[in-house]
Amino acid sequence: MKVLITGSASRLGQAVAAELASEHALRLMDEDPVPSTGEAEVVQGSLLEPEMAWRAVRGVDAVIHTGEPPASLAAGSPCEQALLEWATRGTHVLLSAAVEAGVGRVVYGSTLAVFAAYPDDVYISERWEPQPRAVMRPLSRYLGELTCREMTRAHHIGITALRLGEVVVEEEVRDAEPNLMWLDVRDAAQAFGCALHRDTGRAVAWPERWAVYHIGADIPNAKYLIDHARSMGYEPRHNFAAQWSVEPGVNT
Amino acid sequence: MRKVLLLGSSGHIAPNIIPALGQYYDLRLADLKPHPDGLPTRTVDITDYKQVLEAAQGVDAIANFTVNRPHPVLSFAVSTTGAFNVMQAAAEVGIKKVLHTGPELVIPDYGHEFDIGEVPQRPGPGYYGLTKMLGMEICRAYARTHGIQTICYQFNGLGPKPERAVQGQDFQPFTITWEDLVQACRLALDIEVVPDDYQAFNLHSYMGQGKYNIDKARRLLGYEPSEPVERYYRRPLVSNRS
Repeated sequence: MKVLITGSASRLGQAVAAELASEHALRLMDEDPVPSTGEAEVVQGSLLEPEMAWRAVRGVDAVIHTGEPPASLAAGSPCEQALLEWATRGTHVLLSAAVEAGVGRVVYGSTLAVFAAYPDDVYISERWEPQPRAVMRPLSRYLGELTCREMTRAHHIGITALRLGEVVVEEEVRDAEPNLMWLDVRDAAQAFGCALHRDTGRAVAWPERWAVYHIGADIPNAKYLIDHARSMGYEPRHNFAAQWSVEPGVNT
Repeated sequence: MRKVLLLGSSGHIAPNIIPALGQYYDLRLADLKPHPDGLPTRTVDITDYKQVLEAAQGVDAIANFTVNRPHPVLSFAVSTTGAFNVMQAAAEVGIKKVLHTGPELVIPDYGHEFDIGEVPQRPGPGYYGLTKMLGMEICRAYARTHGIQTICYQFNGLGPKPERAVQGQDFQPFTITWEDLVQACRLALDIEVVPDDYQAFNLHSYMGQGKYNIDKARRLLGYEPSEPVERYYRRPLVSNRS
């Protein structure tokens, strides 16, 4: 398949590109310069520009919208409005172009942080109601997810939302306090690859065109359950064994 | 008398309820354009956070009646970013009451059904409904996080109640009269707390069709249409046989 990856200059975008490069032809998009890409095409520009979005989606079979904003918005920007606009209108512009171009499948990177308000003594699956707090970074990501969901209602496009844990690199957090939401970036990339196989854009009923999966590490006594993601072939390989005990109930 | 910042005060809705609301609240009118009857109005662009924050200083509550329907950029700026600016300003200033308004279009998917109560929002991809729904989600997140008592009203048509019998036509569901909207605004502004700090309500005046119910507004707010407006839409019982 020919696959567009947004947010390609981000660490997540780079990991997704590395995961998919051997199987797919890639087109990488970001507002920021994308590091050396081998054979992949590059589109540098903003999602907020319909012409740019149209250029990015034309001729691709699938879009991976990582949800990673440009670096200028990601690094604690004082302008939350700009991040909000990027996540909502930017996603709408991108998906509208994708619909117009006949793209059948999209994978979106949402966040498990929408469940941060829940206590730690519950098991969170996709059946739980997101309760985002008034924190713009995760909130905007969730609003992008809702924008994706609404696009599937009226258009023949299959969209898979991956609610990602806190994306880190296992080797880099070996000495840090463990976090129930940790997700290694390579496993996040693997999940995008798995979701790419969902081909539901022609399904008649919209609930078949839309799907949500929780993506986390396989840790003992996990709060965030990943059984549903396993059903699409996801199997995390970086599970922070240095921090988590294998004995249930004795996690530190 | 409590002070209320009324955003969108020169639009299609607010000028019709300002005279009545002004009897109960000290209204601070704010809009991009002048009030149609020349009432003093502070120039505030809801898409500009600094302007919203400045306008919110010293008030007890904010009522947001702003809207931009079809524009691909402004609809997001007004309905979504505008909602964020209002809630962020309320949080920053310490305002504990927000009245937010939106269209029935956040639930259009149920248009072929009946007895529709409080249902999950399904606006679809159109700018108007989608951006309003996203704005309401922002309201919900801020309400929960900061304990801002936030009431969202979902309505559609607005206007005066009929003054005489209307014959040969039906009425639009989800329409609310100015009198009932004033009542609803007062209920929203006066209620101390709502469950989960945030509640959205169906709101209308015309009950006859049994299409959208207002049970939640009745139950939690005590809202009741001031009169059964459908009585104006009665077919005369006369014989037309020749």
